[in-house]
Amino acid sequence: MTAATDTKTERASSRLAPTLSPSSPPRGFWLWRFNGAQHSLLLDRRAIAVNSILAILLAFSAIASLASGSLSISVPDILLTLQGNGSTIHSFVIQELRLPRFAAGALSGAALALAGCLMQTLARNRLATPGIIGIDNAATAFAVASIVSTTISLAPSAMALAGAATATAVAFGLAGATGTRGYRFIIAGLAIGAVSGAVTQVMLSGVALDDANAAYPWTVGSLNARNPTSVIVLTVGLGIGYLLSLAVRRGLSTLQLPESVAVSLGTRPGRVRFAALALSVLMTGFAVSVAGPVGLIALLGPELARTVSRPGRIPLTASALAGALLMTLSDLAGRTLLEPLEIPVGIVTALAGSPYLLWILLRKSPDISR
Amino acid sequence: MKLPHYHMIAWLLLAIACLMSLLFGAGSIGPDSALGLLMGNDDPEARFVIMELRLPRLVVGLVTGLALGVAGALLQTLTRNPLAEPGLLGVSAGSAFAVTLAILLGATTASLTTLISQLGALAGCALVIAATRMQGVGQDPVRLVLAGATLTGLLLSLSSLVMLIDQRAADEIRFWVTGSVAGRSWDQLLATLPSMILAGLIIVAVVRPLASLALGEKVAMGLGHHPGLIRLAVILAVALLVGGATALAGPLAFVGLVVPFVARGFGGADIRKTLWLCLPLGPALIVSADTVSRLLVAPSEMPLGVITAIIGAPVLMIIIRSRRIPTL
Repeated sequence: MTAATDTKTERASSRLAPTLSPSSPPRGFWLWRFNGAQHSLLLDRRAIAVNSILAILLAFSAIASLASGSLSISVPDILLTLQGNGSTIHSFVIQELRLPRFAAGALSGAALALAGCLMQTLARNRLATPGIIGIDNAATAFAVASIVSTTISLAPSAMALAGAATATAVAFGLAGATGTRGYRFIIAGLAIGAVSGAVTQVMLSGVALDDANAAYPWTVGSLNARNPTSVIVLTVGLGIGYLLSLAVRRGLSTLQLPESVAVSLGTRPGRVRFAALALSVLMTGFAVSVAGPVGLIALLGPELARTVSRPGRIPLTASALAGALLMTLSDLAGRTLLEPLEIPVGIVTALAGSPYLLWILLRKSPDISR
Repeated sequence: MKLPHYHMIAWLLLAIACLMSLLFGAGSIGPDSALGLLMGNDDPEARFVIMELRLPRLVVGLVTGLALGVAGALLQTLTRNPLAEPGLLGVSAGSAFAVTLAILLGATTASLTTLISQLGALAGCALVIAATRMQGVGQDPVRLVLAGATLTGLLLSLSSLVMLIDQRAADEIRFWVTGSVAGRSWDQLLATLPSMILAGLIIVAVVRPLASLALGEKVAMGLGHHPGLIRLAVILAVALLVGGATALAGPLAFVGLVVPFVARGFGGADIRKTLWLCLPLGPALIVSADTVSRLLVAPSEMPLGVITAIIGAPVLMIIIRSRRIPTL
């Protein structure tokens, strides 16, 4: 969206390609000049349209999440309450219960999908998402360790981050010389996920039944067990991570070309890969510390975003919005479908996402690498 | 037939594992009094612990290990895929889901559970075979495993949903679903026995044709076998074994991966040799894993499935890390 060029280079390029006059941007883009035509921005029309539509849908899902539940609140009442003029019961339900829950869901969904998009692009493999390569399971194992044990006093966020980093290091280390392309990398993640899941079970089986029940949401992924501090950490982390990932996008998109081309364009592949991987790990860890292992969002969000975005782009913003949308819709479905029972959001996403993943895997001509 | 010396070692391992399983446990009966009972001392408390608690557990472990090890070897030879393991491919998950549904609908008797579990395993097997026959998936061992993992995740989520809806089902299933050989009655064991024997008969009849099928479909047909018939028989045997084992001990992943992998390491790729080695190795793995699960967090217990996952995941990595995945 922000491929900025100054007018000088644009004039130079127009001399080289006379058909492309400075006043007419490439097809599908808007050219925006500002500051007395000294600077210009090329705006991707499709990206703007996609992002606006996703944002509008997210707003609708926000209203639906705030409205529905055991006490249904009408839309005018919601707006009144948000302005601070609602009745006591409405403002309690919305401000103490539903709004924090919606925020936790949207933020963790956005963080997971952003992490998934970065990792898919980095590994050039659409299956290389934190959920499938076991990172979220490892993060969960570490977070549960900090909850059930008294000896480790680190906050769940920090522990989940440590778990995510460990699992990523192990997955990349085990895949080793075979690189991140192909399935070996993913099977390495599968094994890591299995071991981490087992370790979580061990920790849960060793503690008293009450503690185990408190930690149960961690094994499936739920927005019930969210910890206010973790949500704040996630908010800050997502904000910083999103800006940094926009900064790293240019390098990542040149890495889609052969590496020699990327290097000759001035990209340092090692540095860009490390930055993208670190961002992905960071956001997975923070998201897991809020919502538990809802890993399929990291696959489904970017998939949805790629389907609607311009081919060849890295749809970071669209992925984040799509992840937030899918997460909040799943949580809404989990809360309302079997009322008064609540289905944890991890189960909803698994039920909805697994058939899609199976379809990707079993299709006749799999387009696995990106 | 003169057996190579590694057979002796395998059977010796199994004997040691069984002895350890009887001697060590979480209760107050230590190894000395357990050994005393085995030597002929009559201590009523030790007699109760050994005969009523540890012995059924040992026998259930033996049967489960036998079934899962053999089923893994069969499925791997049939799909020519060293990663084809009932637990990883979703066969165990299929039978677990069937049992969950049955309990939700009110089933309790042991024999009914066994039959339903086997039907679920059969459906899981059919899905796996259908996937391997698809263009592209059959040639790629890893893709099949990934699809199996996804199927397992889907079925587990469905089971969790059932457990959410029905609290009674949840209480009956919760411990079973992570895998355990504890607290099973002789009745449950007896209920699975006929199908296990049937599976054994099928295997005896089909093992030679299966070995020829491993050389390729044309070779098998040239030798006068029907590939379709062989496949059907093997699937049936695997479903009986896995379904029976799952009904007894819950879905246990990785056992059918580790045992044939080790057996092939010693005996080579011939399914007839592999099966002979799986006979002692499968039970030895389960029985010793069960003993460890009792001792590690005593006085409480660890789910058996956790131990097998911790043992099995590194083996999965070793197979993947080998320069190229050997196609069987």
